[in-house]
Amino acid sequence: MAILEEPIKEVEKLKNYINGEWVESKSDEILDIVNPATQKVISKVPMSTPDEVNAAVGAAKEAFPEWRETTPLARARCMFRLKELLEENFEQLSRVQTQEHGKTIDESRGETRRGIEMVEVSTGIPSLMMGYNLEDIATGIDEYVIYQPLGVFCNIAPFNFPFMVPLWYSPFAMATGNTFVVKPSPRDPISQVKLAELVDEAGVPPGVYNVVHGGAEAASILLEHPDIKGATFVGTTSIGKEVYKKCGETCKRSIIQVSAKNFLLVMPDADIEGSIPALMTSFFGNTGQRCLSGANLVIVGDDDAFYKKFLDAFVDTASKIKVGYGLDESTQMGPMQSIDGKQRVLGYIEKGIEEGAKLLLDGRKPTIIGDYPETCFVNPTVFADVTPEMTIAKEEIFGPVASVLRAKDLDEAIEMANRSNFGNANSIFTSSGKAAREFQYRIETGNVGINIGIVAPMAFFPFSGMKDSFFGVLHGQGRDAIRFFTESKVVIQRWL
Amino acid sequence: MKLNTASEVISFTKKLEEDSAKFYKDLSRRYAKDEGIFLSFVKENEKNIVQVERAYYGVITDAIEGCFSFNIDPAEYSFKAELAEKASYSEALDRAIEIEEKIIKLYLDAAEQSKSLMADVPRAFKMVAKKRGNRQLTLKSLLSQEG
Repeated sequence: MAILEEPIKEVEKLKNYINGEWVESKSDEILDIVNPATQKVISKVPMSTPDEVNAAVGAAKEAFPEWRETTPLARARCMFRLKELLEENFEQLSRVQTQEHGKTIDESRGETRRGIEMVEVSTGIPSLMMGYNLEDIATGIDEYVIYQPLGVFCNIAPFNFPFMVPLWYSPFAMATGNTFVVKPSPRDPISQVKLAELVDEAGVPPGVYNVVHGGAEAASILLEHPDIKGATFVGTTSIGKEVYKKCGETCKRSIIQVSAKNFLLVMPDADIEGSIPALMTSFFGNTGQRCLSGANLVIVGDDDAFYKKFLDAFVDTASKIKVGYGLDESTQMGPMQSIDGKQRVLGYIEKGIEEGAKLLLDGRKPTIIGDYPETCFVNPTVFADVTPEMTIAKEEIFGPVASVLRAKDLDEAIEMANRSNFGNANSIFTSSGKAAREFQYRIETGNVGINIGIVAPMAFFPFSGMKDSFFGVLHGQGRDAIRFFTESKVVIQRWL
Repeated sequence: MKLNTASEVISFTKKLEEDSAKFYKDLSRRYAKDEGIFLSFVKENEKNIVQVERAYYGVITDAIEGCFSFNIDPAEYSFKAELAEKASYSEALDRAIEIEEKIIKLYLDAAEQSKSLMADVPRAFKMVAKKRGNRQLTLKSLLSQEG
């Protein structure tokens, strides 16, 4: 059992990064950052004052004209330097995520890699940002489109991917010539501080990238700020709706990526052995704290023997998952990020029992590798005999709880999934191309998986979402992000 | 305890590369006539570590089954890197061949089990297994020359 070294050794109060300077907050409201596995305080984060939030926006606004005039090639070079620095610091960045969030080291490295991929894609900005043109739309008249940056954008970040999520947006925003303010989650903001240190080292000019710590108040200031042209938010649907409304009221463009309740359909012709590892990652990876997690496992068909065989394999594998501190390399699932999160999960487990679901695997009394407090730990939990009307089949649990449902055929399974309010990431496990095509065609979800447990789009594709899982028009990542962070200016010209 | 996570398996391959590098360094000191060959193995071990780590760090993402791919029993592949003080050259070569067999098996098993990861990882494992297979042939040839 090898425990990797913790990079954060001393408790420090985090500073804001405003206009290229590390600035101490004047706020008296300071929160502890707690390692959820060890329960040790590892850092302190200030809830910045309104003046400090405004200063971050002001710095971004002031930096915009010059940054906008910086050539796309020069901006791309900044992104190349940032990419190199991220690679050099890959392991440290990953371990920080594990320390502050609790996820396993493999998961943290996965998060780091995906974050870096966003920066990588943004280095192609001279090509990605090109407009288009057409000669002779009328005699002697030409028309063309130029993509221009807009100004200051912000991101209000969630706790579940403290390093990666702001990178869904900031590299694209900066590369297209905008400036950016990140407000990290106050529960795990250290990753964003480490990232800002590297942004600074990469030579991104002062004010182009800013980090301001805080909670709901800081978020409100950003959302209401007249100098912010657009906001990106990842969190729950209820808060996301409020954010979307506020953005509408203040005429900001927005990308709002929110809650989910993902259905994973298993057809009778699915490869059981090949599907199980993907399902483990889907349901229990990141301790179920991600919007792409599997939540409802729908076993399709009336073949009782297949149902039993698949369910037994699923439960047996889930029961053997090693739960512990993510810096222990043997750990397959870490703790919940917070006590509140754990309490919410326990509440849903109680609800599932109350409503008559059959608890096949009970994670409430956790078995943990190593000597760590149980405070934030929950083991994998599996319910069978779940019906679509039950609360645990409808609401987002955001923890390591799988609800197993049955559907008589593919039609019923698709209808079941489509009745959900959410539409983030649904998958089918099958060896039938016909069933897969039918699923892809009819399922109401932004991200579709075929024999894929976690349908995480690559940096060069949009991270989609539908229904109550996404509000907005353009998505994060890929070409959508380029469009989101630029205005399409149309020029029609004639020389007389 | 079996190794299930990608991180554990990558660390384990690194440990075996380092242990076998120590072994070959020892051989290079003891058997000067083939010093060059053994030192080239040491250098190759360092490259193997880089090759495997580069593949892993390059493709690990939250979308793949990094925590659930492997079922490796380290006891099956462990070896003694220390050689008895009075070991003959033939005995040393026999041990080296045995070590290579174990490490090749580890890489091939890891390649098989990591098929669900992106192709780069099993490919890296297979490439190192192939290199070590060539090394084994060299060792066998040295042994046959010893008669």
